[in-house]
Amino acid sequence: MLRQDINELLTRTGPGTAMGELFRQYWMPACLAEELPEDGCPPIRLKLLSERLVAFRDSYGNYGLIDEFCAHRGASLWFGRNEDGGLRCPYHGWKYDTTGQCVEVPSEADNSSFAENVKLTSYPLVKIGDVLWTYMGDPATQPPLPEFEFALTPPEHHYTSKRWQQSNWLQAFEGGIDSSHVTFLHSGGLRSDPLFKGAKGNQYNLNDTKPFFEVADSDGGLFVGARRNAEEGSYYWRITPWVMPSFTMVPPRGDHPIHGHFWIPIDDENCWAYSFDYHPMRPLTEAERQAMVDGHGVHSKNIPGTYRPEANMDNDYLMNREKQRTGEWYSGVEGIAIQDSSLQESMGPIVDRTKERLVPADSGIIKARQKLYRAATALRDKGVTPPGVDPAHHHVRSAAVVLPQKEAFLAAARDDVRVRPGFPISSV
Amino acid sequence: MTVAVQTQTLSSCARAATAQEARYRIDRPIAPSRAGRVVALDEGAADVLSRTAQHDWANARFYVCEAGAGAAGDVVLRGIDGGPATLADELASASVVVMVATNDSGVGGAYALGKACWERGIQTAGLVLGDGTHAGTAAAAAVAALRPHARVLLPSADEADVVDLLSALRV
Ligand code: FES
Ligand SMILES: [Fe+2]
Repeated sequence: MLRQDINELLTRTGPGTAMGELFRQYWMPACLAEELPEDGCPPIRLKLLSERLVAFRDSYGNYGLIDEFCAHRGASLWFGRNEDGGLRCPYHGWKYDTTGQCVEVPSEADNSSFAENVKLTSYPLVKIGDVLWTYMGDPATQPPLPEFEFALTPPEHHYTSKRWQQSNWLQAFEGGIDSSHVTFLHSGGLRSDPLFKGAKGNQYNLNDTKPFFEVADSDGGLFVGARRNAEEGSYYWRITPWVMPSFTMVPPRGDHPIHGHFWIPIDDENCWAYSFDYHPMRPLTEAERQAMVDGHGVHSKNIPGTYRPEANMDNDYLMNREKQRTGEWYSGVEGIAIQDSSLQESMGPIVDRTKERLVPADSGIIKARQKLYRAATALRDKGVTPPGVDPAHHHVRSAAVVLPQKEAFLAAARDDVRVRPGFPISSV
Repeated sequence: MTVAVQTQTLSSCARAATAQEARYRIDRPIAPSRAGRVVALDEGAADVLSRTAQHDWANARFYVCEAGAGAAGDVVLRGIDGGPATLADELASASVVVMVATNDSGVGGAYALGKACWERGIQTAGLVLGDGTHAGTAAAAAVAALRPHARVLLPSADEADVVDLLSALRV
C-alpha cells in the first residue's frame, strides 16, 4: 500500500503540482511526427500535463506547440488556418507564429505595435526519430535534447506508435516495470506473437513461473532484474531499465527487435502510452514492420484516424471467454497492449493505492514510487535536478542474458545494459 | 475500412458509467495480511533495525541473527531489544521474512534462514544497505551471500527502503 498523500503527490501532474514540476524538467514525447505530416498541414489539439495546447507545423516547416486558446477572446486555435508562417484564428483573424508570438491583429492599424505585446505560452517542439519532443519547464533550465537509442537509429530501424489510455499515468507506467505479470497475463503471446515467439529465452520463461527479482539503482532510475533457472549452474536474467520519469524497456527475445514505452500524462485521468520497437543493427523487415502496424507485439490496433484502440473500455475490450478458457489469451483479451490497458483501466481512473496488498515481488514498483517521491520533493524543496534529465542517463538498453549463478547481474551485465553503438543487443 | 465495434457488451456492469463509479471501492478496513519477521544479519543492519522497529507496525517483529556456536547452519535469534527468540517459533506464524545486511558476515544466518523459510513456504526478501551493485564492496559481498536465499533482493538500499518496503507490505 501507499499513503494517500503520497499517492496524490505522484498522480497529479498539472501546473504547480510537485509531480507536474518533475515532469516539466524533462524532454518528453508530445506527439508522433506523423500527426504533423507536412509543412502547412492542419494543426492538432494536444493536452499534456493537464495543459491544453495546439501543435502545428508552419508553411516553412517550423514546429510549434502553443496555448490552445486565442489571446483575443479565447477561441480554440485548433480551428486555426495554417497560413504563411503562422496559425490564424478564424474568429477575428489574429495570427501567431510557432513561438506563440502574435504577428498580426487585423483590427489594428497597419503600423500598430499592439501585436508585439501579445504572446501565447509556447514550448519547443523538436523532431527526433518518429517523435516530436517538448520541454514544458523553465526555459532557463532546458536540458540538452534526449538521446534515447530508439529515436536515434536510422528511420528504417525503428517504428513508434501510441495509444490513448484511460487511466492515470502511474498505474500505466507501473505495468512497465512489473516483470511478474508477464508469465501470466502475456503467456499466450510468448508462444504465438510474431514479434516474440521462437526465442530460446521464452522457454526459460515458461518453465519457471516463479522468478527471483533484484531491483538496483541506476544513474537515471532503476534496473529491475528477473532471474529464472537456466541450464545447470546458470540463471536466465531479464533486465528492465527504467529512466525517470517514465521511460521503460522490455527485455529482448532472440533477434527480435527490442521495444519499450514512454508513459505521458494527458491529464490526471488519461495518459499516452508510446510504444517503440527498434533494431540497432539492421532495418526492420517488411514482415516485422507490418506486424507492428497491425498491432502485434507491444503495439495496438487503433480505430483508423485516431489513437484510440479498437478494443477499449466501451466494448469490454472485445473480451473472448473462449480464448480465455483455452489459455490462448490468458485474460481473454487479445494482444499485449490491450491486455495491459484493459486491466490498468479497470483499476479506475486513479487507483486507490491505500487499498493495495503488495507482495515482495512488487519491490520494483515500491522502489520506483519511492524514487519518484524523493525526486519530486527534492526538486520542490531544494531545487535538485532529478535523475534522467542528463542525456547520459538515456544510454540504456534492456537485456536478456544467461549468467553463471555466482555473478551479480549488474556487475556481470554492466556492458549489456548500456548503449554501445555497433554492438548488438544482448539477448537469448 | 470498417471497425468492428461490439454494440452489446458482454456484461452490463463490466463498465462503470461514470468516473465516480469507476473510482468505487468497498470501504472496509484491510486486515494486515503479513506477519513480517525482519532480521538483521550483521551489526550495521542491527543498528538500522533498532531504529526501524520504533515505527508503528501491525505485526512486524525485529531480530538480530547471530551465528550459532554449534554445527554449521545453526543460528541464534534474539529480539532487537535483546529478548530471547527461537527461530522455529518465530517462523511458525510468519508469512514473510525480510533479511537486512551490510556485509557478508551474516552469510551463515542467511543460509539457515533461507532454508528454514523455503521448507515452510515463507516468502523472503533481502535488503542490502549500501551500494551492492559494484564488485569489491562489503555490500556486494552481502548481495552475493543473500542472493540464493531471497526471492526479492534490493542490492542498493538505504534505511528509508527498509521502512518503505515494510509499509508497502503492510506488516
Ligand atoms: S492478481 Fe494482481 S491485480 Fe489481481
Ligand atoms: Fe504488460
